[in-house]
Amino acid sequence: MSQETTTTSQKEDFEPFIQIKDDYNFWYGSAQVLFDLNLNIPKKQVTAFIGPSGCGKSTLLRSINRMNDLIEGIVHKGDITIGGQSIYDPALEVISLRKRIGMVFQKYNPFPKSIYENIVFSLRIAGRNRRSELDEVVERSLRGAALWDEVKDRLHESALSMSGGQMQRLCIARAIANSPEVLLMDEPCSALDPIATGKVEELIHELKKEYTIVIVTHNMQQAARVSDRTAFFYLGKLIEYDITDTIFMNPKNDQTEAYVSGRFG
Amino acid sequence: MERYFHKELEAIRSKLIFMGEKANEAGRLAVEGFIESDLEKIDAAFAMDDQIDALEVEINRDAVRYITLRSPVSSDVRLVFVSIKASHDLERAGDEAHSIAKRTRSILTRDGKINDPVAIQEMSRLAFAMLRDAITSFLEEDLELAQGIIERDKEVDRLNKDNFKKLSHAMNTANGEVSTQIETIIISKSIERIADHAKNLAEEVIYLLTGE
Amino acid sequence: MPEPHAYSKSIRPKGEALVWFTGMGLGVGILLIAGLLAVILKNGLSMFWPDTIYQVELVEGATAGPTNGKDFAGAIALERYKRLQEEGVRLTREFQFFTGNKDAYGQMYHFVDSDQILRDASGKPRFTPADGILQLERIEFGDALGYPVAIDLADGSSITEPDALRSTLFETIEASNERLKAYTKIERQQIGRINSRMESIRLEQRALRDELGAAAAESSDRMQKLTAQREALQLKYNDLAAEARALRDRRAEDSVRLRLPSGEERRIGFDNITQAHFPNEMSLPDKVGFFFRQIWRFVSEDPREANTEGGIFPAIFGTFVMTLLMSIAVMPFGVVAAIYLREYASQGVIVRAVRISVNNLAGVPSIVYGVFGLGFFVYVLGGSIDELFFSKRLPTATFGTGGILWASLTLALMTVPVVIVATEEALSAVPRGMREAALACGASKWQTIQRIVLPASAPGILTGLILAMARGAGEVAPLMLVGVVKLAPTLPLDGAFPFFHLDRKFMHLGFHIYDLAFQSPDSDAAKPMVFATTLLLIVLVIVLNLSAITLRNHLRRKYKGDTF
Repeated sequence: MSQETTTTSQKEDFEPFIQIKDDYNFWYGSAQVLFDLNLNIPKKQVTAFIGPSGCGKSTLLRSINRMNDLIEGIVHKGDITIGGQSIYDPALEVISLRKRIGMVFQKYNPFPKSIYENIVFSLRIAGRNRRSELDEVVERSLRGAALWDEVKDRLHESALSMSGGQMQRLCIARAIANSPEVLLMDEPCSALDPIATGKVEELIHELKKEYTIVIVTHNMQQAARVSDRTAFFYLGKLIEYDITDTIFMNPKNDQTEAYVSGRFG
Repeated sequence: MERYFHKELEAIRSKLIFMGEKANEAGRLAVEGFIESDLEKIDAAFAMDDQIDALEVEINRDAVRYITLRSPVSSDVRLVFVSIKASHDLERAGDEAHSIAKRTRSILTRDGKINDPVAIQEMSRLAFAMLRDAITSFLEEDLELAQGIIERDKEVDRLNKDNFKKLSHAMNTANGEVSTQIETIIISKSIERIADHAKNLAEEVIYLLTGE
Repeated sequence: MPEPHAYSKSIRPKGEALVWFTGMGLGVGILLIAGLLAVILKNGLSMFWPDTIYQVELVEGATAGPTNGKDFAGAIALERYKRLQEEGVRLTREFQFFTGNKDAYGQMYHFVDSDQILRDASGKPRFTPADGILQLERIEFGDALGYPVAIDLADGSSITEPDALRSTLFETIEASNERLKAYTKIERQQIGRINSRMESIRLEQRALRDELGAAAAESSDRMQKLTAQREALQLKYNDLAAEARALRDRRAEDSVRLRLPSGEERRIGFDNITQAHFPNEMSLPDKVGFFFRQIWRFVSEDPREANTEGGIFPAIFGTFVMTLLMSIAVMPFGVVAAIYLREYASQGVIVRAVRISVNNLAGVPSIVYGVFGLGFFVYVLGGSIDELFFSKRLPTATFGTGGILWASLTLALMTVPVVIVATEEALSAVPRGMREAALACGASKWQTIQRIVLPASAPGILTGLILAMARGAGEVAPLMLVGVVKLAPTLPLDGAFPFFHLDRKFMHLGFHIYDLAFQSPDSDAAKPMVFATTLLLIVLVIVLNLSAITLRNHLRRKYKGDTF
């Protein structure tokens, strides 16, 4: 099975918001992990990246907010734009880029602070300390993360006293506190039980009304449930990218078919 | 926890109920057309068959999508499979209505005289009541109603046999037109088949509700 | 065919021996530590307990004892076997007695062979509790032991009647101690204040002379004013000194006469007595009360008699202040260095080399740090500070000589590797996810470190500080070079401006132990002090560590995460 070209549906009837273009390539030192990617991600929809471990989907996700910059020896070729602006624009501070992009991680990682302080962290570091503004952001974010009713009476308790699912939703609330345009989710449910997973998935369904969401997941059912479009990666290449129904019900590519039907490898 | 995709399951259910109403209506129109020798009703019955067939395709497609993308379990997956089977039964019931309409038109276009519609009328009353109740039991998840339908099928079977004896006797005594008699037998048989499908539907509702 | 379920007959699973071995290792360690603590506790605390004084009678023709064969009284300090060399392997018993009366006997402790002591019917050496013996604690010459004969008061009266004598004894000691307190107050505070003002006038006069020339300065208004002030102060000083002298002399006018157990009579002035008790007449509650009073005096009083008597308060205070200063110096220094090493420096060959060097620094002998501290801090830094800011006082060095600041900095330098290593560990233990979360929120690297990483690693950093404090507080060798003294006249913290005297020399428990054990003229007399001081040093280190551990646990609870 060697197909060098990406299978994509011919009609892309949307305005692309995030564009991975110009044959995006990515290396860790001398090891190339992403090959010639071109991908348009629609605004205010959920796009899922699926593929076996090591296929580069997380690397691509972390390229979008330049989280990979923390690693030494990375090289890229090609470009990624968000709303038409290149993330590699030298005039663009990486910090201000990250303020436009919220990120939720695989393992919920609240700060060892109070629930309140977790959410206003991104405001405080930007020097926004006005109490009324912070209060408003906390309520808006927690409501957005469907957590307000559960925690409104204990905002000043430690975030670490919450349950795992609550902590992950707190992390989502923290990610949307700054009103980003894009929400990146790196396997957000892999550490959660099914109930919490369901809540987070419901939340994703709600959040896509306001945010452009990109989610990496190992759980294909999850990708099928929450996403509007799905991209299948294998060995650093984008194999197939289409609306989710097509990817799961009638994929055009044999590798995709094999992967989604569990016959892979 | 109510999930957003449960609405899709709800949509399949409503489509199925809608399809059941359509099938019931089609059968009722065909039989009324036969009893009243009304060609307009027969034409209306014909038109509905296409709609019923389209609904079955739609329900099947939705069910496959739901299974693929939503990985349902337990009562959800039973509902999806019952939808597929029930839509098939309803489609068959629609086909029988179509068949009744066809026979009736054949009689009427020949200027044949429909005699003794009483047995057919009684039988169709029973059969469509069964079908309606089966749909109601599905809609209202009424287990007792569904279980009752299975018993009621016997009465329709008996009426069908009576019709057959009566009509075949009439043929022996050359009382009236033989082809009309035969077509009436077939119509009677079709109504009996509709009742069978209603029974099947009831069985599927029982499976849906009890899992057995 | 073998039995299908044949179990091995060996009941000992493989590797069990090694488990026992590891347990044994721990056991030996605990035993050693417990043994050490037990020895220190027993010997250290026994110093405060009022021992029974026995009258010891010697056999005819004995030559032992403090007065060569005469009977004496004392407390048994030690009983042991000794090997007599000239007679091969024969063992004999000997006793060490605390006899006091150093002025009469030359030493406070005496060894006596058991065969020199008169035996009772059962053949054991006979010790009879000395009836009515008085133990006097003195400022000079250590304790006195003897039977009170009379008290001669300043008004010429003598009291000999036993009951009156006792009550007068305690009353007079109390009155005498009150006078001592008043005297000390005048000496320390009022005279001290006058002295410092006179010193500043002297310096100002010297500056005037330097500025105007000797002749011109002498005739200037300012100089005359200063001279007048100085003379006024001198008069005040004279008055106070006379007052103090009168108080001091008044104390010497009362005295008590003792008959020593060996027979002769001694007169002891009350100016020399700090406390009296009758050890053989004390009930158990009396003894317990006395015990705790003695402990309190030990930790709260100044040392006397070349440190072998009195308390060790200046040493406790010095150790405490020095350790605190060291912590204040070492914390930011080590933490900042570790942050750079771990978070900012690119992890290449150079950083690895630096890290190895830092680790090796922890193994450098502490005396080397002492030499470095003397050379760099005291001579170079201190010398420069004196040149720049205290040039008026030269040639008397202010910072150009050992002092508590330099000692603390030297120890800080010595313990900084510990803090760096611990901080690096703590920083690297902060989960990656937490940093990434902060960065993803738009925090800069420094904001991430400051707001997330440092608070989360605070418990680990404190562990490093605890280790550093434990090492610093117990260190002696480098301190001898950079500011510790046998006897410091003043504390590094007192009521005189600027209150915190970083230039002052100080006393230290560790050095105190060394001084008592090896530099003391009477090592037997110093031995209990050594143990008591050691006990105190250990207690001090434990207290410092416990407070740091409490703080750490508090932080841990605050930042606890079961999720990482």
